[in-house]
Amino acid sequence: MGVSKGWYKFSRNPLSVLGLTVLIIIVLAAVFAPYITPYPEHAGPFTNFRESSLPPGPKHFFGTDTVGRDVFTRVIFGYRFSLLLAVVVISLSVPPGILLGLIAGYTKRRSLEIVIMRVTDIFLAVPPLVLALAITAMLSPNLLNQMMAISLMWWPWYCRLVYSVTTSLRHEYFVHDAELTGAKKAFILIRSILPNCVGPVLTKITLDMGFVITLGASLSFIGLGVQPPKPGLGTMVADGAKRLPAEWWMTVFPALAIVLVILSFNLIGDGLRDMFAVEEI
Amino acid sequence: MTIPQPLLEIKNLHVRFKVFEGELKVLNGMDLVIGEGEKVGLVGETGCGKTTTIKSVLRVLPIPPAMITAGEIIYRGRDILKMSRREIPSLRRGEMSAIFQDPLTSLNPVFTIGQQLEDIIRHSLRNQGMEKVSRRNIRSRAASLLSETGMPDPERILKSYPVQLSGGMRQRVCISEALRVNVRLLMADEPTTNLDVTIQDQILRRLDELVEKRGTSILLITHSLGVVKHLTHRVYIMYAGNIMETANTRELFLHPLHPYTQGLLKTVPKLTGKGISTGIPGRIPNYLDPPTGCRFHPRCEHAMSVCKEERPPFYSGGDGHKVACYLYRS
Amino acid sequence: MVYEEKMLKYIGMRLLHSLFVLFGLSLLIFFISRVMPGDPARVALGPLATEEQVQKLRMEMHLDKPFPVQYYYWLRSVTHGDLGRSLYTKRPVVRDLNEYLPATLELVLCSFIISLIVGQVSGVLAGYFRNSWFDGFSRMVSYIGVATPAFAVAIFFLLIFSHILGFAPTVGRIGIVMRPPPRITGFIIFDSLIAGQFKTAVNAFKHIILPATSLAVAHIAQEGRVTRSSIVDNLQKDYVAAHTVHGIPTHSIIFKYLLKPSLIPTVSIMGMDFAFIIANAFLVELVFMWPGFARYAVTVMLNKDLNAIVAVVLIVGVAFGIVNLIVDIVVSFLDPRIRLQRKGG
Repeated sequence: MGVSKGWYKFSRNPLSVLGLTVLIIIVLAAVFAPYITPYPEHAGPFTNFRESSLPPGPKHFFGTDTVGRDVFTRVIFGYRFSLLLAVVVISLSVPPGILLGLIAGYTKRRSLEIVIMRVTDIFLAVPPLVLALAITAMLSPNLLNQMMAISLMWWPWYCRLVYSVTTSLRHEYFVHDAELTGAKKAFILIRSILPNCVGPVLTKITLDMGFVITLGASLSFIGLGVQPPKPGLGTMVADGAKRLPAEWWMTVFPALAIVLVILSFNLIGDGLRDMFAVEEI
Repeated sequence: MTIPQPLLEIKNLHVRFKVFEGELKVLNGMDLVIGEGEKVGLVGETGCGKTTTIKSVLRVLPIPPAMITAGEIIYRGRDILKMSRREIPSLRRGEMSAIFQDPLTSLNPVFTIGQQLEDIIRHSLRNQGMEKVSRRNIRSRAASLLSETGMPDPERILKSYPVQLSGGMRQRVCISEALRVNVRLLMADEPTTNLDVTIQDQILRRLDELVEKRGTSILLITHSLGVVKHLTHRVYIMYAGNIMETANTRELFLHPLHPYTQGLLKTVPKLTGKGISTGIPGRIPNYLDPPTGCRFHPRCEHAMSVCKEERPPFYSGGDGHKVACYLYRS
Repeated sequence: MVYEEKMLKYIGMRLLHSLFVLFGLSLLIFFISRVMPGDPARVALGPLATEEQVQKLRMEMHLDKPFPVQYYYWLRSVTHGDLGRSLYTKRPVVRDLNEYLPATLELVLCSFIISLIVGQVSGVLAGYFRNSWFDGFSRMVSYIGVATPAFAVAIFFLLIFSHILGFAPTVGRIGIVMRPPPRITGFIIFDSLIAGQFKTAVNAFKHIILPATSLAVAHIAQEGRVTRSSIVDNLQKDYVAAHTVHGIPTHSIIFKYLLKPSLIPTVSIMGMDFAFIIANAFLVELVFMWPGFARYAVTVMLNKDLNAIVAVVLIVGVAFGIVNLIVDIVVSFLDPRIRLQRKGG
């Protein structure tokens, strides 16, 4: 499908384009955080009790927290953690998931297929948050462990997705033809089956970014993720929640920041889904 | 032959569909008349706009992406296109009904035949003012409708789901649904195309019987000339959103005037004569950028320069016989 | 009848499958819990305990034995209904569960009802009146609903309805001054109604409404959208045109003939959605300090209470499995094509 037609379909959703724009802004802001935030040193162990608990104002757009750190700066830096988490988890979990899904879907050996899918089922038997919580709880809570735990949770979804695409295509004629002409298995997989997975997988990746960020924020909120004084968005929400309702800005702004980034990913995902959808008249 | 009291008149209907690449200008000024009690055929290739036409009449066109840009559809003196949404349902319940091409998708897969058919009957009865008809009464009506269409063991059918029936049975169910009350106009869109050849004949005959018995007008839409030959009084030949020719059925088969009609007739295999025909070269036009003037001119061996410029009007070729072709300008 | 046989066979196979999966799950979580660094016995007793006491606890927990043996002991006690002793509450885990589980069940049930009513109705209407203002509005709401993590929803609700508007109380299941009803089912609202304590019931209802709604938000957003898009899809199907042509009134088409087939994808995802409900319950219970199973779970996890963690994960797996099974059965009822064309599980 041509790139321009793909873009046209995508851009027919003004919301998706908006999501893309917002996301690009967020990513750029996160990458260049030290240069564009007003108080970059507030992202670490910094205290200034004279300026603590200030409501939003011209000097501090989002106000300051209980120890005097600028919330706006910390939110931007917080995006770094969230985005990093999303990227790492997806990179770690998607390739093995796809690989296993292809193998399980295509292999003629039933035993192999069964083993792979059963293991997948085991991981899918429990909501990701719960298992990730359990694992992170048993290790020491920090960002790295959080990433590992969530990645471990995530590959089964891709395995299952690719598996279902592969099995539905396995008996299609074009695969049959390739087999009959003696093409090697790997070749068939890559040329015939994999392209059909691209659409659903890409859409899922975009939506998953949002899920992973939610998961990370939830873990941090509970206390098992990014640890203070690091500015994890979930952690900030949890800290700020203790100051409700009087000093609402400490919770509300980080929470809104989370919503914003997830919303952008979801809007993009919707646009992608439309892009890959088959049009009927 | 004079056309009896006109029941339905389609005048200059233009319908377009909006798509990614632009607009599909499907119907380009459709004209059609059906009289009371008449059996009219509408013949055309797949994709020439037949289904769009009846969907417009029934006002079930998906608007958007469809747009009715011009034209009138007069039913018993009133323009359907101008009717308010509230008036349409009673049209559907008492005056018109339709049978669609694919009986499997025309029936709701998650309800039994009985549930669907009985519900339809109940609403039609309500429309006629009969509110409290008992369930049992409705059920027996449903059963008798089904046996009228030739189904054995209607009770069992009522309890079944569409997926459990064969194609022919499903189509009979659709016919029952369409003829549940004595409607004045039945539009049958390729009712037998998706069925086995052996069943096609049976179903068509049964349909014909039922229609004759009730005096219903029928618009039989098909791409097969063989079907219209014995079952219609008059025929319209349609191509790419326009009517090319119309005449009484016998007259049309004896003296086809339009080059397209002639081509169609030649493609009907004959058991005697020269055997395999050449068909009509070319293909149906691209509706995004349809041919100017007469839409058939790219495929026509008699095409003249005027054919490219403007759409030909109807010229008379005799008693009720009309043809839209400059060849018959005199 | 052949149909019943097939259904039983199907259920049987599913149960077997679930059992196997649970077994694998227990193995997995047990393995992880025993392999983790740190000494659970020491953690349980605290830094002030003597080495003797720690050693004694270690032996009690079989921590000194090889892994397969540990697993065997654990499995044996589970089959006897004993999930071990919580190192945190110092009580048998089963007792803890007994106390906290009903609270969560009540919460989940309420949120399910809310999401059914609000989510499905708005999904159907949005789908039928596609591109109307209602559709646009509910699309926006559901976008935001899906994008907001449950804890954020809970906090926003808390802020708006409790603190600003003063609508609903903030913590607990019933007011402190209220006398709790006799414990029949553990569902406070239900129990109070049975016992005739209407004021208590109303009070409990006021307490549950905010957390239940917070929990329901993500649900409503997700399922409402699926319902909407499947209604949009089905609207294009021929049978809708056929029904319209045959004179079935619009309201009947929407709420009967469209709803049933459109619910199929929605119910199918309800199973997976339930996973998210459980996960979100963890967060919502935390924010509203709801004394439920999820909050208990979080507490034991934060305290590295091994026995309880393993038990909790298992319970979640069981609950999830049951819900999935129910979902599958309901789907096959809604869609007769699945029932009638089943090729043996």
